[in-house]
Amino acid sequence: MKLDKVVAVRADKTVYRDGENIIKVFSADKPKSDVLNEALNQARVEETGINIPKIKDVTCLEDGRWAIVMDYIPGKTLASMMEEHPEKLNEYLDKFVDIQLKMHAQKVPLLNKLKDKMSRKISETGLNATIRYELNVRLESMPKHTKLCHGDYNPSNVIIRDDGEAYVIDWAHATQGNASADAARTYLMLNLTYNQKFADKYLNLFCAKSDTAKQYVLKWLPIVAASQSVKGKPEEKELLQKWIDVVEYE
Amino acid sequence: MEQVKTAIIDNVEALEAKLAALKKAQAQFATYTQEQVDKIFLAAATAADKERIPLAKMAVAETGMGVVEDKVIKNHYAAEYIYNAYKNVKTCGVIEENASYGIKKIAEPIGVIAAVIPTTNPTSTAIFKTLLALKTRNAIIISPHPRAKASTIAAARVVLEAAVKAGAPEDIIGWIDVPSLELTNLVMKEADIILATGGPGMVKAAYSSGKPALGVGAGNTPAIIDDSADITVSVNSIIHSKTFDNGMICASEQSVIVLDKVYAAVKKEFKDRGCHILTAAETEKVRKTIIINGALNAKIVGQPAAKIAELSGVTVPADTKVLIGEVTNVTIDEEFAHEKLSPVLAMYRAKDFDDALAKAEQLIADGGYGHTASLHINVQTEKEKIDKFTARMKTCRILINTPSSQGGIGDIYNFMLTPSLTLGCGSWGGNSVSENVGVKHLLNIKTVAERRENMLWLRLPEKVYHKKGCLPVALDELKHVMNKKRAFIVTDEFLFKNGYTKTITDKLDEMGIVHSTFFHVAPDPTLACAKEGAAAMTAFAPDVIIAVGGGSAMDAGKIMWVLYEHPDADFMDMAMRFMDIRKRVYTFPKMGEKAYFIAVPTSAGTGSEVTPFAVITDETTGVKYPLADYELLPKMAIIDADLMMNMPRGLTSASGIDAMTHALEAYAAMLATPYTDGQALVALKLIFEYLPRAYSNGANDPEAREKMADASTMAGIAFANAFLGVCHSMAHKLGAFHHLPHGIANALLITEVMRFNASETPRKMGTFPQYAYPHTKERYAEIADFLGFGGKTADEKLENLIAKIEELKSAVGIKKTIAEYNVPEESFLATLDSMVEQAFDDQCTGANPRYPLMSEIKQMYLNAYYGKHENV
Repeated sequence: MKLDKVVAVRADKTVYRDGENIIKVFSADKPKSDVLNEALNQARVEETGINIPKIKDVTCLEDGRWAIVMDYIPGKTLASMMEEHPEKLNEYLDKFVDIQLKMHAQKVPLLNKLKDKMSRKISETGLNATIRYELNVRLESMPKHTKLCHGDYNPSNVIIRDDGEAYVIDWAHATQGNASADAARTYLMLNLTYNQKFADKYLNLFCAKSDTAKQYVLKWLPIVAASQSVKGKPEEKELLQKWIDVVEYE
Repeated sequence: MEQVKTAIIDNVEALEAKLAALKKAQAQFATYTQEQVDKIFLAAATAADKERIPLAKMAVAETGMGVVEDKVIKNHYAAEYIYNAYKNVKTCGVIEENASYGIKKIAEPIGVIAAVIPTTNPTSTAIFKTLLALKTRNAIIISPHPRAKASTIAAARVVLEAAVKAGAPEDIIGWIDVPSLELTNLVMKEADIILATGGPGMVKAAYSSGKPALGVGAGNTPAIIDDSADITVSVNSIIHSKTFDNGMICASEQSVIVLDKVYAAVKKEFKDRGCHILTAAETEKVRKTIIINGALNAKIVGQPAAKIAELSGVTVPADTKVLIGEVTNVTIDEEFAHEKLSPVLAMYRAKDFDDALAKAEQLIADGGYGHTASLHINVQTEKEKIDKFTARMKTCRILINTPSSQGGIGDIYNFMLTPSLTLGCGSWGGNSVSENVGVKHLLNIKTVAERRENMLWLRLPEKVYHKKGCLPVALDELKHVMNKKRAFIVTDEFLFKNGYTKTITDKLDEMGIVHSTFFHVAPDPTLACAKEGAAAMTAFAPDVIIAVGGGSAMDAGKIMWVLYEHPDADFMDMAMRFMDIRKRVYTFPKMGEKAYFIAVPTSAGTGSEVTPFAVITDETTGVKYPLADYELLPKMAIIDADLMMNMPRGLTSASGIDAMTHALEAYAAMLATPYTDGQALVALKLIFEYLPRAYSNGANDPEAREKMADASTMAGIAFANAFLGVCHSMAHKLGAFHHLPHGIANALLITEVMRFNASETPRKMGTFPQYAYPHTKERYAEIADFLGFGGKTADEKLENLIAKIEELKSAVGIKKTIAEYNVPEESFLATLDSMVEQAFDDQCTGANPRYPLMSEIKQMYLNAYYGKHENV
């Protein structure tokens, strides 16, 4: 296992490529349970048969850092393709939504439940009791579903292999739950990393293709915004606050 | 000041202990009298009333929403109007009693109410719900919203302390001090009923808790200003309502839809009265401020217009009343189309009233299903529009010319709309109630119903004339009393050709009454025959109809009468079965408006001259329509034995036995009364004595003929009122399937049915309050006694009666079994199941004292076929 070719560097991990393999090496302070959980999630999703990199090994390096070894998918992320070919944006977006819908059609009964995760996140936000109460009431009233949700579905997590086959990567946040929550999460990410116009375009397309009422997805926004706020990124704070502090009709 | 010490409820254990205490307190409270409860109710309402200002201040200070002075009104309303509405309402013990119907209604408390209180009306809703709970002897546990918990609890505490001081149990009102979803859910799970006012999430949680819930929903009230409206009053009503507590009442107007003709005037009036009409650019800014991703921005709820403008980056005068956005889109894509809980109003221009209705309809669909809709209009001239509006709006409150905030909660701008701070939105809003919630929703009403017996009756033709040779005398009054001009006679060919109608026509000629005779009635008259007769009748236009003959002619006459008076009558409807003739679904048309109906029997048997029954067969389908309704009673019956002197023996026998079964079944029927018993017993006595003589002597025994004529009519009177039983049900089908004369079919079955009915342990007894227990054997014994047939026990008497019936049957030449009447076994068995089911469903079955199972009917048929009695 050669760790010389860096593919990506993130706050808590570095990703290397070694021939046919991708090696995700986590930072030393990353809890072992998180790593094993990510590997387990990915292994479970693998079993549905949808296109994702297959786990090959989970290992502890000599320096004590944990690593997950998986298939290398030769290709480009949708994010970079969108950047390179802005004229093909509509086509890519179409593909992006189709892959997400295909994923939502899968069932993975042993994955964690999305609502449990959201509830945990709300309690970790540090928002005041009133807002947490509103969020919890809102979450509680949402329908329970058991669809496969990626939890961080955005164009940089979709790789189009050189032969055109699409692969979804990074399953650390996968849960089973309501597809609209997953879409709301994507809408939020697109707002944060692209712009509202692009995010709206995505949402309209998602709603049209999945025959979902838009307000049904929007109802999840305060919750996914609260969950995102746990990361505490200062540049996101204002937008997230605005999205969180809404009330239900009385 | 604190008189009642309460533990802090901030965790599950404390809450469970509190719930247990509430339950205990409620059990004690449930024993209080109305006087005690009313004293507590008064004390609590008074205390809340006195604290209205401090509580209002507290609510505004804590939530940062609304207007103190308006919250004072809400608190005042919650105390005073609720007290006033219910001070004299009975909520304890017997609340309604009707001794003659034997009905009593008793109000009982439900138990522990879980109350969810919203942030928008924290103190007034708490006062409202606790007062309702006290009035209904329920305990109540309040789950406040975290944003308004201190003021909600303060209001509840005021009510609790006053109630306890007036004698209520100490733990009758409780609350969660530190609200969390977990505790709210626990409260909902443990309570006996949930009274949820709040957002849809809370209401949904209430409904899914598994406990009965009174949840109420969101509003999105549209207000239409019609071009007939008084613009000054309409606009100012809307401003008054929309600014009330900074627009936080759920019934408040969210959109105003103005008809094109008055749009400019309405806009000017809004402006002149201090509202700000937003420019296009301002509208866009406000739009993005009030609604975020389709949800209401918490920062604007209950804020003054100027503050909302400031948040949006728009400058308006500080005392601006309402921000008005002129918008066009009524779908939820338009932020202004949402519920805004603030003095922000959408204004639409409608090209006409229908356009306005369509817009209002969509706005209600956007998020106000079931709540409230408002219309400003001239009520004197525009009734049609009001009706249209009322029909189209899917809301449970429709307000006319009213500020909707103050109008929807009831009793301020209107009468009789229940004062309430919890407004039901019906199934449209996903709620269990569509009214304003009040005490009646928090009570269990026990209804105590004592056994009562039905009213019975004796209904007869208005005139029954009888005596051998009386016919011309009886007809005399047609001319001299009734002044009839045109008579129509219905009879059969035999009677017509043999001069049976001559007595009648001679008399009519003598009186100068013109007449026409229809003589094509055949046995088992068909609809075709009745239609033919009715057509002749219609052409002739009689004012009196005289049906002369046996059952067929009289029945055909009755049907022709129906068709003559009501040509559109549907026999399918008329023949519909009923359990109780007085409760039947079908209302029989009124008879006798065109012609007076006279029945003259020429045989002693059917009794049709005095009964409300007629049977007609649809020859195209073979379906028999047995019609029964007192409208079919002849107006006059003339029983003249002269017309019966030459009856053939077979007819004498069959129709005489038919009369006997009428009397026997009417006597045993569940609807039998002393009025019908007398007729039945005397009829039986006459039949046993005179039927053998009439049969043997024929025309040579006028006395026997006359007595049999009387007996037949008397038996008819009995069964016209007491009805018949399963013997007739079975005879109808046996006759129809195997072409046995009706009287013979009855004769073959009657003793089987009597043994069946006489059982003291029937599998099922008939359902009728007068028939208290299975006692038909004694009824048969009474007949045996009256007829002097002897016997010591009821069993012996029954056996003697049956033996005498068998004897009588033999004496008049009736054979023993169905088989002996040449009904082939094979075809009998092949039709048996159909006969059984149809006999079971026959109208006569309903009056039988023993409710027959189909298997039992089948066994009786088999017994009667083979002449071997097997116990049924």
